[in-house]
Amino acid sequence: MYKKGWAALVSMVLVAGLVVTGCGGGAKTGGSSSTGKALVYAQGSDPRGLDPAFVDDGESAKIITQIYEGLVRFKSGSTEIQPLLATEWNVSPDGKEWTFKLRQGVKFHDGTPFNAQAVKFNIERQLPPNANADMPYAEFTYDGVKKVDAVDDYTVKITLDKPSAAFLANLAMPIAAPLVSPEAAKKYGDKLMENPVGTGPYKFVKWEKGQMIELAAFDEYWGEKAKTKNVVYKFTKENSVRASDLMTGSVDIMDGVDTNDVKTLEEKGMKLIKTPGMNINYMGFYTNKAPFNNLELRKAIAMAINRKNLVDFLYQGNAQLPNSVLPDFIPGYSKDAKYLDYNVEEAKKQLAKAGYPNGFSFNAITYSNPRPYNPVNGEKLAAAIQADLAKIGVTMNIKSYPWKEYKEVLKNGEGDAYFYGWIGDNGDADNFLMLLDTAQIKGSLNSSKYSNPKLDQMLEEGRTTMDPVKRAQIYAQAQQLINDDVPWVPISHSVDMAAVRPNVKGFDLHPTGVHWLDIVTKE
Amino acid sequence: MAKYIVRRILLLFPVLFGVSLATFMVMHLFTTDPAEIILGQHATTERVAALREELGLNKPIYVQYADYLSDAVRGDFGKSVITKTSISDELMKRFPATLELALAAIFIASVAGITAGVISAVKQNSIFDYGSMVAALMGVSMPIFWLGLMMIIVFSVTLGWLPSSGRISIGMTPEHLTGLYLLDSLITGDMEAFSDALKHLILPAVALGSYSTAIIARMTRATMLETIRQDYIRTARAKGLSEKVVIIKHALRNALIPIVTVIGLQMGSLLGGAVLTETVFSWPGIGSYVVEGIMASDYPRVQGAVLLIGTIFVLVNLVVDILYSVLDPRIQHS
Repeated sequence: MYKKGWAALVSMVLVAGLVVTGCGGGAKTGGSSSTGKALVYAQGSDPRGLDPAFVDDGESAKIITQIYEGLVRFKSGSTEIQPLLATEWNVSPDGKEWTFKLRQGVKFHDGTPFNAQAVKFNIERQLPPNANADMPYAEFTYDGVKKVDAVDDYTVKITLDKPSAAFLANLAMPIAAPLVSPEAAKKYGDKLMENPVGTGPYKFVKWEKGQMIELAAFDEYWGEKAKTKNVVYKFTKENSVRASDLMTGSVDIMDGVDTNDVKTLEEKGMKLIKTPGMNINYMGFYTNKAPFNNLELRKAIAMAINRKNLVDFLYQGNAQLPNSVLPDFIPGYSKDAKYLDYNVEEAKKQLAKAGYPNGFSFNAITYSNPRPYNPVNGEKLAAAIQADLAKIGVTMNIKSYPWKEYKEVLKNGEGDAYFYGWIGDNGDADNFLMLLDTAQIKGSLNSSKYSNPKLDQMLEEGRTTMDPVKRAQIYAQAQQLINDDVPWVPISHSVDMAAVRPNVKGFDLHPTGVHWLDIVTKE
Repeated sequence: MAKYIVRRILLLFPVLFGVSLATFMVMHLFTTDPAEIILGQHATTERVAALREELGLNKPIYVQYADYLSDAVRGDFGKSVITKTSISDELMKRFPATLELALAAIFIASVAGITAGVISAVKQNSIFDYGSMVAALMGVSMPIFWLGLMMIIVFSVTLGWLPSSGRISIGMTPEHLTGLYLLDSLITGDMEAFSDALKHLILPAVALGSYSTAIIARMTRATMLETIRQDYIRTARAKGLSEKVVIIKHALRNALIPIVTVIGLQMGSLLGGAVLTETVFSWPGIGSYVVEGIMASDYPRVQGAVLLIGTIFVLVNLVVDILYSVLDPRIQHS
């Protein structure tokens, strides 16, 4: 019996070993052999869903971008707008009527023709009374849309109740704006989340929850056909495991590269791709109450913070040092905007000028978790700044909260200063600058409660100026005005990182976090 | 016996009631409002209020719980508030993955644990004994998360022997019969899929089974040491039976009862406790589904999954108790 038991055990191990080593390593065929040569993209989790009206997460946006298209899209590497399903457009002089000429001969993946009615359907399903409360971006994207008219089969007129220069940028967003097949939306209802039908270069094949989504090139695509026929999005939660998958060759592209993995990835010959993120990480002052209603004092603090050190060491170089509230790829960004330089001696003088020659102490609140704009977390950032301020005799007391509570205490204006950030929505300058608009104090987006009628006026002018050149001039002034008034200390713009295997060509990461796989090849 | 089983099954209801109540309360009181998660950074007070109404989150909490419970007893766990998919469907799709992983882990743990335990007991105070007990101590104390990552680095990245994540290679899908890939591919004779699924299973199953292996080894050693000092073992030896027969047939059989209990309890917790392993190895089972649900404050998803895990845990325990009387006729359930 004893002998037999051992023999059985040993033979089991041997059989298992033989199966693994003997049969392994073969070509990856099986159920659907088409995916054998597929381009595999690894991301952290399943998308929430694939109906652009009902999601706002990055994981969904990436896949939606392959399947769907909007009227316009962002240019590669910036948030400038270029035509997509609309070939041209014009706006009435009062900025309220937007007329779009649509591309002809476009079909949705289910054969439904793309036309003005389809556009009308898509916008109207996100407007009251059709809109649901859980459409996260409907209100933002179609803010002020009064009506949508199909002028003819290939012309759509959208009427707004107020002029909005940023409206076009909203239509380029990877969520809410991409257009779904009206027939599919009617057929699937809620289940469109799992059965996406768009006009994009790839059509949906299948979704194995928790594992992967498979896409295939759409043969009847109106534009240049996708260079790689089959694409798979694989979901692997851990950043380091995704990196392992890339190095072993089971995936071709990964995003969310951990800073700690950069060196190993490079040593193994993987290519790193970086792009500035559409966000801002900042320290804010409550400008409506003492002590920071004192501009001279705000300047002293700003000059004492070594922002370059924070970028180089706290963020290990994977961040950009801002000279303005705006990331540099956003149209309207001013490279001439100047922010206060780091200078301990000058900061001390400035502190005396502000009426605090012997220093002082204040309370700052922060968050305990990492955020997309601050991957190390608010506590660590605050601690680094605390050390800087100690050098000029200023004591910053830090109180840290978990994110959920943090948003509450921030809304209530606790402390004297705070740490926060912003993730851009539509790549328009106004989407960042409005955070300091007096009108946003009520809705608590303007947490500094900063109010400057001059800035408010500039921002209003920016919203109603349709000429991009004039708009950029207005925003250049606004950026400098904000820098001079120091309601914030802009700390950094984070950098997004992806990595690809050496045989992958043409992959680029867009600042909005999405990418286009139809131009990528695997050699 | 039948009475005993019925009584135990009836006992399931208060247990599950407690589990559901605790999960419900924890999710509702201590996590971020799902309405805020859905609406993101544009979640104004008015919009959150509107969405809470749409999701039924503005009702008094006991009403919400009663609603949830009345659906749950009919097997309807509702829809995910984030993905809008049916939770029962998702759980059904993911359960086979968790089951396959837990079965593989318990298989590895039982074979390795009992073998190591028996040899340690028979050769007490030998190098093997010390070595395996130190290994067992490490197995108990090593975090699965860390062990999993280390195994990936060694066996996937450095040696390139085994895949680091997922259940099967992309492009392979065994025909769906039971949802257990090994079994399905074996039944359909798709040996390539079988080998691929097995390769994917090894690392997570070893990582998941490490703790159980250690527990089983220690338990086996302790009970075996006690058993081999019994008089009847001496009698067996005196009868002239070979040492192997004495150990396997006489000692181990009697020592098995507490060991089976431990294996059963471990099986229950492996089914529910694969959360970390599934996360590290991106194993598409219930564990990773719960983690994503907690991250997204997806109340119904977490509640449904925890209730399922609780039910399984209680049922596995029941099976273990019934097994007692099979193994040891002296124990009778009445």
